Amino acid sequence: MIQARGLTKTYGSSRGVSDVTFSVGKGEIVGFLGPNGAGKTTTMRLLTGYLYPNDGDAVIEDISILERPKDARKLIGYLPENNPLYEDLTVGEYLDFRARVKGLRGREIKKRIEDVAERCSIADVRKKLIGSCSKGYRQRIGIADALINDPPLLILDEPTQGLDPAQIHHTRELIKSLIAEHTIILSTHILSEMEAICTRALLIHKGRLQFDGTLDSMRAELACQGRVKVTLLCDAEKGAGLLSKIASVEKFEAEPAPPRGAAFSLTPKDSGDIREEIFWKCFDERVPILEMGLEKQSLEEAFLMLTREQALEENS
Amino acid sequence: MNGVLAIIRKELSHYFFAPMAYIVMGSFLLMNGFVFYVILAAVSRAGSAGASPMAIMFGGTFFFWLITIIMIPVITMKLGAEERKQGTIETLLTAPLSDLEIVLGKFSAAFVFYFLCWLLTFVYVLVLRAYGEIDWGPVFSGYLGTLLLGMFFISIGMFTTMISKNQIVAAIFALAILTMLMGSTLFTFIMSGTGREIFAYADLLGVMENFARGVIDTRNLVYLLSGTCLFVALSVKALEAKRWQ
Ligand SMILES: Nc1ncnc2c1ncn2[C@@H]1O[C@H](COP(=O)(O)OP(=O)(O)OP(=O)(O)O)[C@@H](O)[C@H]1O
Ligand SMILES: [Mg+2]
Repeated sequence: MIQARGLTKTYGSSRGVSDVTFSVGKGEIVGFLGPNGAGKTTTMRLLTGYLYPNDGDAVIEDISILERPKDARKLIGYLPENNPLYEDLTVGEYLDFRARVKGLRGREIKKRIEDVAERCSIADVRKKLIGSCSKGYRQRIGIADALINDPPLLILDEPTQGLDPAQIHHTRELIKSLIAEHTIILSTHILSEMEAICTRALLIHKGRLQFDGTLDSMRAELACQGRVKVTLLCDAEKGAGLLSKIASVEKFEAEPAPPRGAAFSLTPKDSGDIREEIFWKCFDERVPILEMGLEKQSLEEAFLMLTREQALEENS
Repeated sequence: MNGVLAIIRKELSHYFFAPMAYIVMGSFLLMNGFVFYVILAAVSRAGSAGASPMAIMFGGTFFFWLITIIMIPVITMKLGAEERKQGTIETLLTAPLSDLEIVLGKFSAAFVFYFLCWLLTFVYVLVLRAYGEIDWGPVFSGYLGTLLLGMFFISIGMFTTMISKNQIVAAIFALAILTMLMGSTLFTFIMSGTGREIFAYADLLGVMENFARGVIDTRNLVYLLSGTCLFVALSVKALEAKRWQ
């Protein structure tokens, strides 16, 4: 349905995204996940042709967004971040404008507007000015716009952002009801939202695609990247000396002393499984490992860890 | 083409939703009415049979230029800047429209508004007709010149609003370009040779004088139309540059 091929975008000298490659098949519902500033919006803007990439291309149903932008955009319904709308048009006028701009004509326009207004439950505000609509309505107006020409692909940037719990529920239900007929790419930083709607996750971090797979496999991969607890059969001092020599350990803390040996909790430097390296180091130094295990970490915690890293980087 | 029409419709409803349109139109008519009245009074007092009041109306007074170079930036200032500020530029630029269609739609909407303003002044012509014979040639060429001049100026306003996020900045920038364009005529006094010829060619006062006299000079047409095309093209480039930023 859509393929991103090595999409790269830099803003002046600052990072946008680099070398993002993935493909989404027909009927899939894929979630972009990543902390603030990860590059989700940038990627979506490249997919929709709002921005042109410095390198790479996006291809929608074999149509390149760079070579035939008009044809490619016809296939995409896009809800931008923050859902910008014309405040001084009525909901009906707005949808009429969008329908015409997207190439609908004549009687079709009225029919489609009625259709999407019904679907998105905004039929009751059609005569109202957009400026006076509540946030929940505005969000559904944005989705109605994305749906107006019945495009096969929907790209929704944080569709539930800033809504109250009832509206979030409502919007999610609406999105779920679209799965049957549309391929959907959405972005979010809420994990539970991903789990509620998506079948596949794309994890973006620092402008790069870090993970691409089902939610279960993401959970499995992230689970191996957490902190490790080890109990070594030696005194605390020797243990500390040994652990400080392992390159992939970011930092470690002494845990309350167990009945035998000394216990530590280790944080890996980069995301990755460090247990193997610990084992070989201890083997070299002839220090027996009494216990070693991953600290149980939820998806949420793993995600938080990523987020914290990014925040630290941005502050420096 | 459908997309262009849709944009024209949308922009016109934006115009008439805001009080600005009525203020612009109202002050335009008020000022032009006053000018017309003064011209009429002056012409009838002198009893000069030669001078047609409408000829003075089109570019013959300081007021004409003042109204035009203030009114056009006000008409165009919102077209691009507001989309940028509200963020709606993102939905616009991701719709299946070419950048040229977007610019043409907005340009035409501004032109329609300008055209409507001048259309209302046709009432003056009808008033004149009640008092005597009218030489229709200069009247129509005067209107033609005024509309072509409007196209040129609107394209300049279009360009400044496309590169700006703030409508006031866009208006001031357009005003500055228009003022410089008008002022460049002064160079004809201090230059000689080719330089003088270029500035004489670009002298808008002279151009409008021709139109008001009933003379449709190809050179004047070419000047106004190519100027319009140039700034429309620059506006399209400005939109495109935004995508590459
Ligand atoms: N117009 C821009 N000019 C300069 N830098 C930008 C621009 N837009 C985004 N960036 C930078 O590009 C990076 C990616 O931003 P992007 O908006 O794509 O992130 P995001 O994943 O959508 O974040 P969020 O969750 O906050 O929406 C950030 O570091 C951001 O500062
Ligand atoms: Mg974003």
